[in-house]
Amino acid sequence: MTSLADLNQNIQTAARRALADGRAEVVFGYRQGTAPFTAAPHFARTPEDCGQFVWTSFARVNLAAYLPKYPGKVALIARGCEARSAVGQVVESQFPRENLYVIGVGCQGMVDPEAVLAREKRPIREVTEDLTTINLAGDGWTASLPKAEVLRRNCKTCVCRTPKDLADEMLGGDAPPLPADDFADLKALAAKPPQEKMAYFKGLVKDCLRCYACRQACPLCYCPVCFVDETRPQWLGKSNDAMDTFTFHLLRAFHCAGRCTSCGACEAACPMDIKLREFNRLLEEEVQKDWQFVPGASWDQKPPLTTYRPDDEADFIK
Amino acid sequence: MAKVVGAVMVAGGGVAGMQAALDLANAGYYVYMVEKSLAIGGRMAQLDKTFPTNDCSMCIISPKLVEVGRHINVELLTLTDILAIDGSEGDFKVRVRKNPRYIDMSKCIACGECTKKCPVKVGNDYNELLDTRKAVYVQYAQAVPLKYGIDAEKCLKLTKGRCGSCEKLCPAKAIDYTQKAEEAVLNVGSVILAPGFTPFGPRGLETYRYADSPGVMTALEFERLLGATGPTMGHVVRTSDHKEPKAIAFLQCVGSRDVNRADNGYCSSVCCMYAIKEAIIAKEHAKYDLQVTIFYMDIRSFGKDFERYYEKAKAKGIRFVRSRIHTIQPLADGGLRFHYVTDHGRSATEDFDMAVLSHGLTITAETVKMARQFGLAMDHYNFAKTSSFSPVALSRPGIYACGVFTGPKDIPSSVMEASAAAAAASSKLASARGTLARTVTVPPPVDITGEPPRVGVFICHCGINIASVVDIDKVVEFAKTLPFVEYASNTMFACSQDNQEQMVKLIKEYRLNRIVVSACSPRTHEPLFMETLAEAGLNKYLFEMANIRNHNSWVHAGNPVEATRKAMDMTEMAVAKAALLAPLTENVIDVDPTALVIGGGVAGLNTALALSSQGYKSVVVEKEGRTGGNANRLMSTAKDENVAQYLAGLQAKVEADPNISVVLNAEVDQVSGFVGNFETTLTNGDLVKHGVTIIATGAKEHRPEEYLYGQHPRVLTHLEMDEKFKAGDAEVAEAGAFVFIQCVGSRETGRLYCSKVCCTHTVHSAVTLKKKNPKARIFVLYRDIRTYGQREDIYKEARDLGVIFVRYEPERKPRVSQTGGKLAVEVHDPVSGRDLIINPDFLVLASAIVSGRENALGMKYKVPLDEDGWFFEAHQKLRPVDFATDGMFMAGLCHYPKPLDEVVAQAQAAAARAVTVLTQPKMTVGGIVAEINHDKCSGCGVCAAVCPYSAINLDPAKAGKAVVNEAMCKGCGTCAASCRSDAPALRGFTNAGLFAQIAAAL
Amino acid sequence: MSDFEPRIVAFFCNWCTYGAADLAGVSRLDYPPNFRVVRLPCTGRLNPKYIIEAFKRGADGVWVSGCHPGDCHYIAGNYHARRKFVLLHHMIEAVGVEPGRLHFSWISSAEATKFQEVAREVVEKVRASGPNQSFRKAELDLGLAEVA
Repeated sequence: MTSLADLNQNIQTAARRALADGRAEVVFGYRQGTAPFTAAPHFARTPEDCGQFVWTSFARVNLAAYLPKYPGKVALIARGCEARSAVGQVVESQFPRENLYVIGVGCQGMVDPEAVLAREKRPIREVTEDLTTINLAGDGWTASLPKAEVLRRNCKTCVCRTPKDLADEMLGGDAPPLPADDFADLKALAAKPPQEKMAYFKGLVKDCLRCYACRQACPLCYCPVCFVDETRPQWLGKSNDAMDTFTFHLLRAFHCAGRCTSCGACEAACPMDIKLREFNRLLEEEVQKDWQFVPGASWDQKPPLTTYRPDDEADFIK
Repeated sequence: MAKVVGAVMVAGGGVAGMQAALDLANAGYYVYMVEKSLAIGGRMAQLDKTFPTNDCSMCIISPKLVEVGRHINVELLTLTDILAIDGSEGDFKVRVRKNPRYIDMSKCIACGECTKKCPVKVGNDYNELLDTRKAVYVQYAQAVPLKYGIDAEKCLKLTKGRCGSCEKLCPAKAIDYTQKAEEAVLNVGSVILAPGFTPFGPRGLETYRYADSPGVMTALEFERLLGATGPTMGHVVRTSDHKEPKAIAFLQCVGSRDVNRADNGYCSSVCCMYAIKEAIIAKEHAKYDLQVTIFYMDIRSFGKDFERYYEKAKAKGIRFVRSRIHTIQPLADGGLRFHYVTDHGRSATEDFDMAVLSHGLTITAETVKMARQFGLAMDHYNFAKTSSFSPVALSRPGIYACGVFTGPKDIPSSVMEASAAAAAASSKLASARGTLARTVTVPPPVDITGEPPRVGVFICHCGINIASVVDIDKVVEFAKTLPFVEYASNTMFACSQDNQEQMVKLIKEYRLNRIVVSACSPRTHEPLFMETLAEAGLNKYLFEMANIRNHNSWVHAGNPVEATRKAMDMTEMAVAKAALLAPLTENVIDVDPTALVIGGGVAGLNTALALSSQGYKSVVVEKEGRTGGNANRLMSTAKDENVAQYLAGLQAKVEADPNISVVLNAEVDQVSGFVGNFETTLTNGDLVKHGVTIIATGAKEHRPEEYLYGQHPRVLTHLEMDEKFKAGDAEVAEAGAFVFIQCVGSRETGRLYCSKVCCTHTVHSAVTLKKKNPKARIFVLYRDIRTYGQREDIYKEARDLGVIFVRYEPERKPRVSQTGGKLAVEVHDPVSGRDLIINPDFLVLASAIVSGRENALGMKYKVPLDEDGWFFEAHQKLRPVDFATDGMFMAGLCHYPKPLDEVVAQAQAAAARAVTVLTQPKMTVGGIVAEINHDKCSGCGVCAAVCPYSAINLDPAKAGKAVVNEAMCKGCGTCAASCRSDAPALRGFTNAGLFAQIAAAL
Repeated sequence: MSDFEPRIVAFFCNWCTYGAADLAGVSRLDYPPNFRVVRLPCTGRLNPKYIIEAFKRGADGVWVSGCHPGDCHYIAGNYHARRKFVLLHHMIEAVGVEPGRLHFSWISSAEATKFQEVAREVVEKVRASGPNQSFRKAELDLGLAEVA
């Protein structure tokens, strides 16, 4: 792969082919956004529509989140996390595998606009990108930043930058693998006294508005009725009580346990920049450690809370 | 038979009689239950606890008492004697005398006012005369029927025409001194006798000083002393001076295994276990380190889980001393000096504060008289005579027996026999089934749709069990303040029949639509109250219990204030949940009237035959190429009955029976369905549709890995020896010396159970050999000889014939070697302290019976096995042939090792239990099961994945959403806890209800 | 702190621990009266939300107890429950709830003595953790019994 333009061309070609072959009635992908640092989900039903597909480092949502709502055949232009989430949708019977065509793309990671702005203080008029760099332009200046230096947090520890094992078709070259999340920060925190841990996690969500944008963005949150909206019994108070908010985040994470692909859509959607994934990571760590489970790694996997081993360890049980 | 009557008389209202009555009544027969005392319950009602689970005896039988008392097809005749049984099988005319109670049962409200001024104090039989009752009395607090009666022999009015105070005091005008005995003739098809036992009276054993030393008690007296309802409320004291004993001793075999002083050569089968139980309970009751010693000859812990119980007792510090006490000498301070001879032949003395005589079980003179009069054959110990192959049939056709009448036995064996007796007693009456039985008419449930909750709360005193700790009035007053509570009151015994009737009235009077009972455990009493609700026209699921006894008063006795607060909280939690309960519906499904019997051994074949006699078809699946199982290898029973002949007859009967089809060389492959409608595919491809399943897969003989087994041709197992006997083996006939080693593979780590049959088998083989060749030298190397019941006779016979019994310690097992093909057995004799060396011609190993470990089969039918691999019954005492899973039963060795007569009894029992299902053309399912709210269901499949019963499917016809098969759902609620959007709800345990409970708890 | 009496919500499986508590009663094995029992058909029925709800409503401790692995009356309910417990236990402690507040045990219906021991241990550990001030709601919504 020589350039982003080539990649975009290949994506558009693959999308048109999927439509033409009858593999898909619609292709899910991204088109350019209207403002800097943005991109918009794009759903192409015709060859013409396909011309707008681009590869972007500013994808915020996870395209797999649209699968459960779609009644027909879909081709998904998928980053690793999206491919894994699509696996989840299939495993959880939300979308039939035979209706899904995965066009995988090697992914260098999504770019965190905040990280860019932290590095470049001058007003930015235009943002473009190459395969590995972000190119900025302002009044009379241009600059370039390696994507690797301004990645979104979740992308820094991505375990599936190249979804070869999941894709029906791969585009783009392999993205060099990154070291997985070692949870070092959580391990350090675990050693701290309870009050400090509580202060840390409560502090994370102190600004939460309970707008549920995180839930709306999450590809796992497809329940017809979310527990937060239940009234009988009312799992959560409707006011902005701190314990209710805390409970929401704990239960949200619990519901994602063994299913979360670390796509970061929740954090990207949060208007208050809450590090929501810290809650998810707590359980991801446990799922990996106890059950050696990686969500979305294969089409026939059983999520850890749907199965058990008689010799599962649980030393804390008296 | 000319005429067949669809009614059965059961004589004796103990646990055996009750079980037989219930099985018959539930199978469509009308039952006359005749009891000579004021109330049913029998000996079990006197027991404090039961071994080996230490279940509270009253707690587990009281639901049965009430069920008998209220069963529409059981007519309870208390204070009734049987005078004569005329007629014959199928059409008996039984003449009975109903003795006067002198209290009008329809008026008595069991308030107890009558007793207050009664001047006559009489020894209280229920408490084994350790305290007194009045001449007007109720047999025990939870008696059924809960009605007072007057002791005609003691009452001043009835004997001398004086007094009459009870009549004056009775607020219900129930006293009627004019009642007279009435005779009646009852027409029944068969009779079951369950007269029970009386404890051996130790007065005659003068050296034990029972008559004149208050520190010497019988075990049943001691049991009452341990009982919470006993004379000291369970406080262990010497009754003479109320001193807490520091050391207690139990003397085993008092009036058992004793032909010199008691004329009772038999072993009473239960005394070792009840002594261990009483020892454990006494230690638990004492707030200090009570020293307990059990003096015994052999410990006979041969039943299921008994050996572990014995080991547990040892671990708790109970001391076991192998010796028969010859003299007890009373000391001036009330203590007792024991004189005995140790195992090593030395004389010893030891002082104790109390002695408990573990008396044997005997048949009363009254029973003997009755048996003679009815023309029943008895053995020389006055037990009713039966054959091993028809263990509940007595010598007169149409008359059956269960319980101790046929030999000493424990509760589960009695219950098993009771069900067997029900099967046998109805085997000739099938044509009249349902002709006399009445059908239950539960009023249609009142529609409470739209009504706000109107909760009725009943707070139980449980006599003093709760009320002595919890301030009941305070709880009642508090309950009245709770939301939706329309009525709250206290009750002395919530479970009493009276109170049940009262509840029905109150439900109607106050239009109550939710009921809360704060009393004991829902595990034992919920079904009872639910039935009461149904009777009152209320959906029975609109009920909740608060366990303020077991979980409160019994464990917080020292803290009445907190206990009362907790009782209030618990009641509030129950009310909160109850207010949110919805009526649950039950649906009706068809029952396929066919049984699948897995295993074609003696158990399976007998089950099939018993089912056939009731008109039900069976498919017997046998994995081998022939039926008969282990019985094919047996020579004879302990009673010298020829097994081969019996088996041939049995097989011929099965073959000729059009209701039974036997499938050989096949096993169960796949299973689907549930009670009423199982579908089992066999490995030969056959599909069997059946309503019930009986597992009778048997067990195996352990292959020893010691004592040169497999290395020397003359080291044999029991079954191998039997085969040589049967074949008339010349080498065996000529052999001059035999050694039998007991407990090979039994009673040791990894197999901590007694195989039950081996001692009898060995002793019987030894006797047989000795009779054939009196010169043969026979040695039995044993740990404890366990020839329980009347089998003890052949143990004595063996010793009389010169068989030598040498005990060995498990730490010093016999050593077997060979030199040039000659066997040598070396054993340490702990009595002489010497090592013996024997050179036998044959070494017979009493090899353990081991489970076939049918885990895979268990999984298919969703039934469990215990850690030794035996199939695990629903309740060790009271449901010994049922699985917890509906429609599943077991029989034979797959449950636990047992001799042939007990296998036959259990097989018949399984049939009786199965008939209670098969006899219903339709049965109800539903109730506490899961349901899916499709508005919340995403069809993700978590519920289906976690359901242990595969009861949930994603239904393509319902847009891939989950649906529950109500008949397969067991109500565990794992689906409801696993769903992220709470689409599944477990009826009766809804999120809303449980949340309300959590809120009320805090 | 010395007269602090913790309030504990216990969730027991009907078939084992609830029975063990019954048996503890029959055997008169006393233990502190600080917990209130919610009876469940199986620990499999325990929705993790209940544990959090109990804390939210001010419980100082929560105790969950069921059948030993392999003993489930419903074959596998407790196996599934165990996986949930692993995650929940980890999460609750990781976010700073004192380790002495949340307890899990397997107690069979025959283990009255173990029941007594664990009951005492749970109450003592919760007592040592002090009143729950951080993992609860400041003000409670209307109780369900009131709004039903």
